[in-house]
Amino acid sequence: MKRGIQLLISIVLFGLFSCAPSRYVKPLERNQKAVSFSFGGPGIMYSGTPIPIPFSTLAYAQGINSSITAFGALHFTSSLFGNLQADLGASCKLFELKSGLGMSATPALQLAYSLGTAKTLRAWPSGDINVYYHLFKKPSYLYGGLNAWFEFSEYKAHNELQTRHVIPNLQLGYVLVKPKWQHQFEFKFIGMGIPNTPGVVEYVGLNGKGSFGFYYNLIRTF
Amino acid sequence: MKNIFLILLLIGFSSCLKLDSNLYNNDNTIQEYLLDNYTGEQDFVLDASYDISPSLIYKFSLASKAPEDASAFNIQAIYIGDQNRINTDTVIVYCHGNKWHMDFYWQRAKLLANTGGKNRFGVLMFDYRGFGLSEGEPTEEGMYADTKACLAWLKSKGLSDERLVMYGFSLGSAPACELTANPEVLKPTRIILEAPFGSAEVMVQDASQLNMPAAYFTDLKIDNAEEIRKVKQPFLWLHGLNDLFLNYKTHGEVVYKNYKGVFSRKIMVEAADHGEIPEKIGFEDYSKNLEAFIIGN
Repeated sequence: MKRGIQLLISIVLFGLFSCAPSRYVKPLERNQKAVSFSFGGPGIMYSGTPIPIPFSTLAYAQGINSSITAFGALHFTSSLFGNLQADLGASCKLFELKSGLGMSATPALQLAYSLGTAKTLRAWPSGDINVYYHLFKKPSYLYGGLNAWFEFSEYKAHNELQTRHVIPNLQLGYVLVKPKWQHQFEFKFIGMGIPNTPGVVEYVGLNGKGSFGFYYNLIRTF
Repeated sequence: MKNIFLILLLIGFSSCLKLDSNLYNNDNTIQEYLLDNYTGEQDFVLDASYDISPSLIYKFSLASKAPEDASAFNIQAIYIGDQNRINTDTVIVYCHGNKWHMDFYWQRAKLLANTGGKNRFGVLMFDYRGFGLSEGEPTEEGMYADTKACLAWLKSKGLSDERLVMYGFSLGSAPACELTANPEVLKPTRIILEAPFGSAEVMVQDASQLNMPAAYFTDLKIDNAEEIRKVKQPFLWLHGLNDLFLNYKTHGEVVYKNYKGVFSRKIMVEAADHGEIPEKIGFEDYSKNLEAFIIGN
């Protein structure tokens, strides 16, 4: 630990807005269903060792048509701390060329509700835009894109001005597609360009900015 | 599939962890307090001119009971000064930070005791429950109760309000601020906060960058930024401009800005990180500034 406060205060903090990999970068087929479990988070230094914060989510998705997949997810790590956290959204295919190159956009709403005495509900819109490419025309694909969380509050604690309204993240990933299972591996540069100090957490970032995150997502399609 | 989903849901919501127990960085593995013989990590080590005569070092324990406690805990404290003069001396109650135990803060206590001259002020330092040799586990309420127990001890020795100065460093800013804003045992005449917390909320929002309630992660009620509004006594704020742990702007400045009392002074220390203020400002200047504030110049 850097000073004073230990791992778990770290947690969820800088990392809450990046608890999961980009969802359903390539939308499902019409009426296709999927359940997925993701694991991973921003990197922090813990006792001198870089580790990813262990966020976990369970998601359900359904292809509305061949271009739009709706999904909803529950965040388990967050729930262990007495918060009901969920995200709801849709992955929308913008185009896919015969060459295997495609693009998708994923608007979503991130919801968090404290089940404790505070009973506070907060929501943040978020969005992803990804370009994906099928290697050698196989089902598996590489992708890269941007994700952002948006904070619309004008003020934060103690009536101080909320000066940051967009939290940008950069992601690169690979989805290994099998007939019934998909394995998604994603690297994220979370909060890129945002200084990660001063703070109570020692993030693994780049030149004092942001944090690198690693995620794994196991998807079962039906 | 439905069953698995239900089980996962139940596991997820059956527990309600909070980060509170992970907040504290206490070390309760020591066997005794070594003070000057302590060789572990320290922010700084003073030269021999700051040594305290053994006759002026009184180690003792006292009972502390928070409202939620079934029984009292023994907490450990050190008084630097002549106990028989507590009824006439000015005493600084030093609420230490979140690191380990009193051995780590011993040099700071010596520095305070020698502020303005050799053993100019009495200093009471103590380990919150769960820190060092103090019994129990750290809790926020416990921390306040332990501080109150120390104040009660001083009061029993004859200390009166006008000779009590509260000093809170980092985490210690919480009991110092709380018990100056809401005095129960003694009403401090002045308050000094070094690198204070703004609030649990600021901590969460600094780290998340979002307007996120602290309640998502912690039940801590630490809120110096609001408590300070009730403080009318003179207030001195010290903060390092290079504090990489508690941002001087989001934490310290909001506390300072919310203070509405009779007199305030701030000392911003160039290039000082958390815990580096006395060293970076220079021990002599640090002492002079403190003395001037305490005696009211």
